[in-house]
Order: sequence, then structure tokens, then C-alpha cells
Amino acid sequence: MSTHSSKNDGGLLSTLQHIQDECGYLPEERLKEVARSLGMSLVDVYGVATFYSAFSFVPRGRHQIKVCLGTACHVRGSSRIRKEIEKRLGIKPGETSEDGEFSLDAVMCLGCCAIGPVVVVDGSYYGHVTTAKLDSILGEIRHEAHAFKGNDA
Amino acid sequence: MLSKVMMHRIVTPEHLEELREKLLRDRASKTTRISVCAGTGCNAAGSRGVGDALIEEIRTRGLDTSVELKETGCHGFCEQGPIVVIRPQAIFYRQVKPEDVTEIISETVLKGNIIERLLYVDPATNEKIVREPDIPFYKRQSRIVFGDNGEIDPAEVSDYITVNGYSALAQVLSHMSPHEVIAEIKRSGLRGRGGAGFPVGTKWGFCAKAKGEVKYVICNADEGDPGAYMDRSLLEGNPHRVLEGMIIGGYAIGASKGFIYVRDEYPLAVERCRLAIQRAREYGLLGDDILGRGFNFDVELAMGAGAFVCGEETALLASIEGQRGVPRQRPPFPAERGLWGRPTNINNVETWANVPVIVSRGADWYSETGTANSKGTKIFSLVGKINNTGLVEVPLGATLREIVFDIGGGIPRGRKFRAVQTGGPSGGCIPASLLDLPIDYESLQEAGSIMGSGGMIVMDEDTCMVDIARYYTAFLHDESCGKCLSCRKGIQRMDEILTDITEGRGKEGDIELLEELATVVKDTTLCGLGQTASNPVLASIRYFRDEYEEHIKRHYCRAGVCRTLAKSPCQNACPAGIDVPRYIWLIGQGRLDEALAVVREKVPFPAVLGYTCPHFCEAKCRRGQVDEPLAIRLLKRSAADNDNGLWRANSRVLPPSGKKVAVVGSGPAGLTAAYYLAKLGHEVTVFEASPVVGGMMRLGIPEYRLPREVLQREINEITRVGVEIRTSSEVRSLDDLSAQGYDAVFVGTGASRATDMGISGETGASVLHGVEFLMDVNLGRSVKVGKRVAVVGGGNVAMDAARTARRLGANEVTVIYRRTRAEMPASEEEVEEALREGVRILYLAAPVGITGVNGRLQVQCTWMKLGGIDASGRARPVPVEGSEFTEDFDTVIAAIGERPEVPDGYALSLGTGGGILVDPDTLATSREGVYAGGDAVTGPASVVEAIAAGRKAAVSIDRYLGGDGEIDEQLAPPEEERPVIVEEGERYRPPVDMLPLAKRFEGFAQAELGFDEARAVEEANRCLMCDLEES
Repeated sequence: MSTHSSKNDGGLLSTLQHIQDECGYLPEERLKEVARSLGMSLVDVYGVATFYSAFSFVPRGRHQIKVCLGTACHVRGSSRIRKEIEKRLGIKPGETSEDGEFSLDAVMCLGCCAIGPVVVVDGSYYGHVTTAKLDSILGEIRHEAHAFKGNDA
Repeated sequence: MLSKVMMHRIVTPEHLEELREKLLRDRASKTTRISVCAGTGCNAAGSRGVGDALIEEIRTRGLDTSVELKETGCHGFCEQGPIVVIRPQAIFYRQVKPEDVTEIISETVLKGNIIERLLYVDPATNEKIVREPDIPFYKRQSRIVFGDNGEIDPAEVSDYITVNGYSALAQVLSHMSPHEVIAEIKRSGLRGRGGAGFPVGTKWGFCAKAKGEVKYVICNADEGDPGAYMDRSLLEGNPHRVLEGMIIGGYAIGASKGFIYVRDEYPLAVERCRLAIQRAREYGLLGDDILGRGFNFDVELAMGAGAFVCGEETALLASIEGQRGVPRQRPPFPAERGLWGRPTNINNVETWANVPVIVSRGADWYSETGTANSKGTKIFSLVGKINNTGLVEVPLGATLREIVFDIGGGIPRGRKFRAVQTGGPSGGCIPASLLDLPIDYESLQEAGSIMGSGGMIVMDEDTCMVDIARYYTAFLHDESCGKCLSCRKGIQRMDEILTDITEGRGKEGDIELLEELATVVKDTTLCGLGQTASNPVLASIRYFRDEYEEHIKRHYCRAGVCRTLAKSPCQNACPAGIDVPRYIWLIGQGRLDEALAVVREKVPFPAVLGYTCPHFCEAKCRRGQVDEPLAIRLLKRSAADNDNGLWRANSRVLPPSGKKVAVVGSGPAGLTAAYYLAKLGHEVTVFEASPVVGGMMRLGIPEYRLPREVLQREINEITRVGVEIRTSSEVRSLDDLSAQGYDAVFVGTGASRATDMGISGETGASVLHGVEFLMDVNLGRSVKVGKRVAVVGGGNVAMDAARTARRLGANEVTVIYRRTRAEMPASEEEVEEALREGVRILYLAAPVGITGVNGRLQVQCTWMKLGGIDASGRARPVPVEGSEFTEDFDTVIAAIGERPEVPDGYALSLGTGGGILVDPDTLATSREGVYAGGDAVTGPASVVEAIAAGRKAAVSIDRYLGGDGEIDEQLAPPEEERPVIVEEGERYRPPVDMLPLAKRFEGFAQAELGFDEARAVEEANRCLMCDLEES
């Protein structure tokens, strides 16, 4: 999108976003390249990258699960939904399951407050989520994940 | 592709008008236009499937030429999604599924028939509403900015053009100088919609005057306030409107480049903006020589990367420049030195979206809406505990009451309104007492909040205000950029203190410390984030200090939200603190005797409660959110009905203490206090004025609800531990008791003085008082009622009186109640049974006078309507003028309330309602050694609340007498590990056996027969055991 190339003209952030889109996270090797090409020190690149919560420094799972903890979701009990997902997947927000299938993120407001509590799975929004509904929401991707593994094997 | 682009390009303002006319002609050729909302809310509810099905149906029926289908942006009424609107009639269908589509086309589009089941039902009137503009949610809004969302496909610039899009730009470029544009915006009174409310025209003027060849305009779409999504919906639903505003702004300021800085959490908004920019370029609305008027302007997207502080303008600039989003000192303001050091004007999405309408309709028209200093409309995201969640656009100056109740439809599930949070983490909560506050920038600030970007989060009685303050503070702790020490550490400390309070580690002085820290953070930070960070804490302390104190002193969270303090919602809701999940589980295991022991650890009247408790626990039961709350009361009854005495094994009575205690009144409060004091070794005498024991349990509650022998069994357990009960022994003076050598006194005299209705004719012989009527019947006195009986009131006494009258031979009983069923204080099952027994209930009616005519009573009534809610959170009934009506009755029973009547000889300080004044923590009265509790203190309440007061008084009295006040006992076997159960879908209560109707009117035999053991076990196994959830 942007053709800027020096460190202060916005190029750094969009470059980082590009790498994240491509790899799902920011691999150190790529950050070193960025530092070299923009004439910045690696610590400065990390300084910017770690400031923003959108960036991850570890690989993400095949399925991205976001649970909204925005205020509207919070007053409708989203923390219970978060705990339930943590329990079922065995991971905390920011973590990826050992088999690399799932990543969980807690997000402060996804902007669909009217239908809270909201969970987003691989870009699909689920509204009015209850712990009971999690069965089918997570069940679907579990099933897919299994099928996927089956194909792999 | 090139030729297509060439074809689109609009080269003059006249060309734009021609195109608009052509588009309108094309549109007119379609007889039906269908909009499917494809906003994020509707999308999550499945609108894509509905849209696809409609496309398919229109195609296969060959209706392409006459029916137009649009997938639009957010309509605002997200609660009802997926939404389909059929124009020109504006038929509004909600919660549409793909399988409804065939019928929509065949019935509504082709034949004009309405599909009833898809219509919106107004919950206030139960009426089905056909047309979108007639729905109260829309009717009371003024959607001058947001209104087009429902009519246009955001992906098509031509759609925006048909709703007058880009005409303001054409007007500006053809007829106005930059200076004139700024003057017009200034005159309109438009203020920044991002939060601070700075006058927009003035801001533009600064930037226009600033020196520099290169200037920028920026659209701040970093909508980070959790709970606000109006900017998202504008960008997704009408991106060209925002672009048009930016182009006009760029022209006015002298900028040729704009940026939209948009949150990365809004992928659809990003996609729509990108597409809109591309289309605008193709049409010649962005780029060089726009509309052939020589003005060059282009817009680029800049993506945020998840940092709330970037909503702060100097931080946003740093972020666009590719740096850490850290704010800097102002001045210099961005108008002088902004992006890359150039003069820059930053406005938020909604502000830009206001610009075109101000230009095209004029500043005079625009400024007619709003208050003196806040003009125009504001979009709020009305979310949280509210019936009609969604986006609402109202004139500034509208009151919270209009927004929450008239548009928002009030609070779901009959819960009480607590507060509204405006301004998100930078704002504060507004309590019920300020519901009539006209909302504008200044009024909100005075109330301790701010306008903010427009989040409006509604909270009900199940929201903990301390938890909300902690929530926002934790959010800000996370989002502070760390530049200022007072923000970085101050917010962290506030977060820690609030966390301590919500987890039961709060200390005396914490509230004052929070206030001090909050003030320091407010005064010593650089940017808006820090300066407003204290608002949630300060506002919640200002309006809900008592909740903070409850958390700190009593380790009690009334909303049951703070998990460390509230083990489970049911136990937290129980005034007596019975360990509900534990005994429910034991019942589920078939161990009813052990379950009873658990109940008996907190109360000496398990059966009375099992038969009559108003069960506050069930209202909070989490299973109620899945299917139906547990029948906790009936389960307790099953345990009590199967008493085999197991609990007695561990029940202890201490050796005599040598102290004497007098208890005045043998109601639930008095007998409970007496029971625990006797077990602690004191010599207890209960003085009861009436000839029978039990107070309201015996005299107020009819026998068909609580059989005498059930009550008597529990009273026997009280005398068994040594309590002496003297009936027909009225105590007129407490001095007499001291003279008789009593070391302490508990006063539990109840509240049985009936309240008058305050209307003419109520003193006649055939007008009875509810409680007195029930007492007479319960004492076996001869009571006569006529065939037609009216009962005035809506509480349990009213229901008891109505059902008792039926049993005494009245064949037409009418209850007259001034509010609706939702507000009725009577237990749901009492109302149900009254109706089943043929009692008629007139809701929203009130008597205004009674006249005796030929031995009958003519009761003049008026219909009522519900006004706004009062400070207690309940709807206030107001008479409907000219709606008087008259009905004839033989007997009228007034059951509108009772109050305590404490003899003067007690020499106790009383409150305004006649109740005894006590220290809420100890129940000590104004006289040393005298304690009081139950209805005599609170006015009419419930048996379980009286029991709780009796327990509390027993603790205080024992301490007063030199004991340690330890009344807790472990009666049940030690708690064992319970397996966590897995929910398995919906399951409802098993049926409860009831006495057949025909038999009920033969006498006072019990009406509800309870669960048998098998059903009790089945029901108990529905418990979700919330207490096992990790906190």
C-alpha cells in the first residue's frame, strides 16, 4: 500500500503489518531485515513493534479465536466465556495450543457491542455467546481441525 | 477497465447532477427495493445467508428487472438482526432466516401480504409493527447522519450519489471560498464528536491560517473506546459520506492529502474504506482536478495496530509516522505542527460525516437541533443491559430517560436500572437520579462523566459498580503509554487497590486513597488518556460509595459479580447466606437429610422457607440464562419434608451462661434470635402479644400455603433448645423487662399496621385491610366477604387476600394493581396460582374513591400508565387523564402495604417510616442492650430477611453479653469433592403436583404438593454448580 521507505514516514508500521499478514507473526529474521533496510537499529524496530498489541512475536495457531472483553461484553459476562474457552483449549490469551491448531486472543472491543458477548473464530463473528453455545462454536473448528489432520496423515 | 473508468469519471458538477438524475430514474423503474442489513451484528446473526437466498430467489423467479436487492451497512437495530426492509412500503422484517426468503418474495413482494411472524413486536404494547419508521426505536431518533445507512450499498458510489451524495462537495467547489466553508461550519455550532467537543470550525480556522504549503487532514477512526462502535458502522455503512466530509475539509483548510487512521480490529471497515477510496478516484471525486474545479485531494488509509492511546491526536500522528504511539506536549498544536511537522487537522469519523449535511442544508437548519452550546445530533452506541441494543442518533439535549427507556425499551428481564456509563474509560457512570439530565457536552462533565465518542453502556442491578471501575482502570493501566509517571504508576496503583477491594482485601481508607490518587493522576498527566483516567473511579465513588463500603467492610458484592466475595449467584442473593449449591448437590445425590443439615446451618426454618420463601436466589440462578432457573425453594421443601433428624447429631447447646434475654415478638426474626441465643447458653423468653406463636408465619401466611403442622414442627425445635414462649403477653414498656432482670432485649415486633389508601370512602364497614383480614382468618375468627371482592395492591399480601377470599366463598375476585405484571412485587407463582384460581387482575388501574350504594360498594378507578422510573429504579405509575371507570363490589380489601408500629413505651428512636433505627452492622438500637430486626426495622419484607436479621442480632447480643458471637455450626458431614458437571443443552423443571382446583375451595388444604423424591433428585441435577467455577 505504501511506498515510503525511510523510518519516519510511516513505512515501518505498514511494513510490520505486511510481515504479520504474511507470516502470522513477526519473525526475528524479518525484523532484522527491516532494520537493515530502513537504517534503524533492531532495538528501535522492536521498540515500535512491541508498543502495538496487534503484533505477535511467536507463531500463531491455524485457527484464530478472539474473545471480546469490551465493556458491553464485560457487563454481559464475557469473562466467563473467556475462562471457559481457556479451559477447553488449555491456553490463555496470547498463547497457541501445543499442536499449533488454536491461538486465543482477548480483544478490547470488536465493535459489535449489540450482540455481546462476542467470539470471533477465523473471522466469523458469533454473537450472544453462552458457555452452552461454545460447544457448537468450538466443536465446528475442532471437527475441521481433525479433518485437516486426517488429510495430512 | 480503462474505458469503464473513463465512463465513470465525473468531470463537472453538472455532470454529477445528470448522473444523479439518471440513477434516480433507474431506481424508479424498480417497483420493489429490498435492503438486507450486512452490518457486523446482522452478519453474525446470519444475514449473508439471507442475502444469498434473496439473490437466488429473485433470479430464479426472473424478478431482476423489477426488484432491487441491496446489502447495506448497519441499520442500527442490531438486536433484531438479520434485518430486511422492503421499500417503498418500508416493511420491516426482523430475525429473518434463509428459509423465510421464498415467502417474503411470494407473499410480500408479489402479493403485498405481510408475514406476521417476521414483524417486530413492541414489548411495551405487545403490538406488531409493520413499518420501520413506526417502530419506537426508530421513531424517536433523528437520523440525519446515520439514516442513509439503511438505504445504500456501501460498496457502490452510485448509491451514495442517489441520496444526494457529493452534492455538498459540488456546492463547495462551485460556489464557496474556503473561508466561507469554515464560516459556515463555525456558524453551525458543530463540535468534535470524538469526545472533547472542540468547535470544529474554529479548529479548521487555526489550520487554514497556519503557515505552510503542505497541509493534511486526518480522519481519526481509531475507535478504541470499548463499547462504542458508531464510527465503525459509519465507515462500514456509508464510507463516502466520511470521504466527502474530508474532501470539503481539505478544501477549506488548503490540504491536498488526507489519511484515515483506522483500527486494525475493524477489518470490514478497512475493506470498505479501501474500496470507497478506489471508487472515488475512479469517479474523479478524489485525485486531481476534482469535478473539474481545479482542486486536488487524495486520501490514504493508515492502519492502527492496537493501541488505545493512539486515539489521542499527537499519539495518532506519531503512529502514522511509523513510531511508537506516544503523545507529546501541546502546544504546538497539530494545526501548526502536525503530521511530519506540517499543519494538520484531525477530526473523528462522525464529525466528518456531519460536514456534508451542514453544507447542503445550511448552518441555520443544522443549528436548530440541539442545546444552546451543543448543536446537531449525536450517535450513541446503546449497549449492555438494554432491550433494544444498537446505534441511536438523537438530538443533543435528549435525556438519558428518553434514550434508555423510550428508544432503548428499558432493561431486559424486569431488572432494575442502575447506571449508564458514557465516555467509556474516560467517562463516568450516571445514576438513576440523573436520568432526566439533558445530554450535552457540559451537562455530562458536570455529572462527572464526559460525552466521549458516544458509548452508552447500560447497567442493571446485576452489574457491580466497583467491578466496572476496576474494569476500566485495568484497561487504562494496560493502555497507558508509560510516558508520564503519574499515569503509569498512578493508574496501576488504582488498579491494584480496586482489585483488592473486589477480591475481599479492601481496607478502611482505600476509598480516600483512591480519591487522592485519582486527583493526582488527573492533574499531572500530559494527555487526555491520563487526564480523564480517574473519571470512572471518581464517578462511581460519587454515586455508589455505599457499594464500595459493602465490599470493603462486609466483603459483600450485592450484584454477585465479584467472584471472590460471591461464591455463587444464588448463595450471594440469599439474605441468610444459605450454601445453596452444596445442598442442591446433596439432593441430587439423593441425600436429602444431609441437604437439610446444610440448610439448617444458616436457618432454623427450612420448611417455612421451602413452602413460602420469595426465593431471591432463583432470580439470580445462572441456569435461568440457559433455560429455566432451578426450583430452589421447592428443593429446600423436599429436604425439609424428609427430615430424619440427622442434622441434630452435630447441633450443640452450650452450658448456661447465666444471662437472660427477652425477645419481643415470636415472628421469624424473634424466634431465630431466640433459637441461636438459647443454643449459646442464654436463658431466653419470647413474649408474644397474640394467642398464637409464629408472627406473620402464623397470622399472615394463609394455611393453604403453609400448613400449621409444618410451622409447628419447626417451632418445636426452638422450644426444644430451651426457649420459653409466652403467648398473649404484650410488652408495653422495655423498662419492665429490665426490671424483670433481663440483660438484653431483642425487639422483633414486625409491621402489621395497614397503610390507608388515602381515598374517600375507605373507612366503610365493607372495606377491610389485607393483613388484618388475613390475621382474622388465621385466628379462626368469623370473617364474611361478599360474592364480589376487590383487592387493591400487588404484593404477596394482596395475592394471599385474593386467594383467601376465594376460599371464603367469593366467586368474583378482582385484584387492582397500579403497575404492570412485570413490576408486581408478589412472587411469580403466587400470581400464577391466583390467576388459576379465577382471580382477575386489573393491571395499570388504581381506585380513586369508594361510595356505598344500597349495601354495595361502587369503586371509582382510573387507568394508569407507566412514566419514567423513579430513583428506586421502578417505573412510576401516573393516572391517564379522563380514563375513570367504576366497578361494583361487595367487599374491598386494601392490601397496599403495612408499616411497623412500635409502642411509645419502648422509648426507641424511630425512622421516618416508623421503623426502629438500628446500626446496620450490629442491629443495636438507640437503647443500650436493646437490639431490633425484621419488619419492625425494615418495614414489610420477607421471612428470610427476618431470619437473617435474627441471626445477626443473636451474634451482636451474645457479644454484648460477653460471648464470642460464634453461631456457625457444621451440621452436615464434611464437604466432599464434587465433580464439575458438563452442560448438556436445555432441560426444564419437572412438573409440581398441585391440589385440583375443585378441592381448593373446600377449605384451606395446601395447594402446592411439592416434588416427590425422584423429581427432586432430577431437578437438583440441573444445577450448574457455579460455585465450583474458578474465580
